[in-house]
Amino acid sequence: MSNSSGQAYAFMAMTPVMDGHERELREYLEAFDQQTSPFAELSQTHFGRWVIICDWVNSRTQPKHDHLGCPYLIFTSNLHGSIDDYLDALCELEQAQAIWSHCIGCPTPAAGKALKAYLLHNQLDTGFFVAAYPNASVAQVRSSLALRERLIAFATSSQGMGPQQLKDAFDGEF
Amino acid sequence: MVRFLLMSDGGPAPTEPITATGTAWGNVDGQAIAITVFSSVKWWGRLWLPLVFLYARLVPSSTGKLGKLSFIHFARWTLVRRIPYNGPPQRQETLSYPRLFFESNFNGGWEEYIDAFSHILKPGMKAFWGSSYGFPEPLPTGPFKDYIKENELEVSHYYSAYPQATTTMVLAALKLAPAFEAFKHQSQGMPAAEFAAAWEKFLTQVQGEL
Repeated sequence: MSNSSGQAYAFMAMTPVMDGHERELREYLEAFDQQTSPFAELSQTHFGRWVIICDWVNSRTQPKHDHLGCPYLIFTSNLHGSIDDYLDALCELEQAQAIWSHCIGCPTPAAGKALKAYLLHNQLDTGFFVAAYPNASVAQVRSSLALRERLIAFATSSQGMGPQQLKDAFDGEF
Repeated sequence: MVRFLLMSDGGPAPTEPITATGTAWGNVDGQAIAITVFSSVKWWGRLWLPLVFLYARLVPSSTGKLGKLSFIHFARWTLVRRIPYNGPPQRQETLSYPRLFFESNFNGGWEEYIDAFSHILKPGMKAFWGSSYGFPEPLPTGPFKDYIKENELEVSHYYSAYPQATTTMVLAALKLAPAFEAFKHQSQGMPAAEFAAAWEKFLTQVQGEL
């Protein structure tokens, strides 16, 4: 297994959805946007997703077709740092409780250590994980991107300035 | 005077997901696109894929071309041999075939992504998906795109912590930040003329990251 690459961690859990709950769960998840996303409250998250799979896609070339007994909720996150800390924070979120309370076997209430244990029980280990910047935290990426934007703006606006004006502008900006 | 040129995808971040071609909107967050694919694996893939994963991990140069695909933030492959059981009413799932899970977080168009994967990673593609039922050759890309579309799942909620940034922008920014801090430290207290010369030299050095 290879859930880690540098400081990056690839988490995946696949949990069974209760009979008749798939539509409500899907609507709940689809209502999130960038600002309201539960991931936005988890500062370790680089990228995350929830996907509902209702049945396997079977290739026409495979001799036997398999079918899932129920829909499953797939949760994946590409995060920085400790998975323990991450799951602790995730399992305190109200949205996490609302999401996994639709799943079979989820503890009641769907929160805290019990929810964390449930997610770890349903974890699927990664075989091969690729990270383009495995040692950068989310905060580091964001601050570096912001600095780059400021530098681009400054480099553009300072073109044509004389030495003293350039130095004063630089000291004022940075 | 400093002549300042931006790198090809540099500059202020776009405000619209202009590159999200060929995929459902649920798979998009700003510039970031999600691919989520399951494929069914032949019996020998159960033995083959762990070896491929091990080789890829132990011999990083074997996946060097993957790193050259500068539009991938994070990607993963997982061989699913069993589905965890949580007690009734969940049915104990029996898999006649293991399933290969693949997810990618990338920027650019879906079509371009598959094209690049197929052309640049042809041997790697065969190593990873060659044991999957129905997998066509990576080239020509048409049948392979059909295969991915047939096996792809639409995301219900997708999130990127920095949705307007491409992978190239992130890598450039991470390289630029320490260089700038070093410049700032070194240029402290310089007379204006010396500072202007140092600034010009710095910009020339980091031109590729801007």
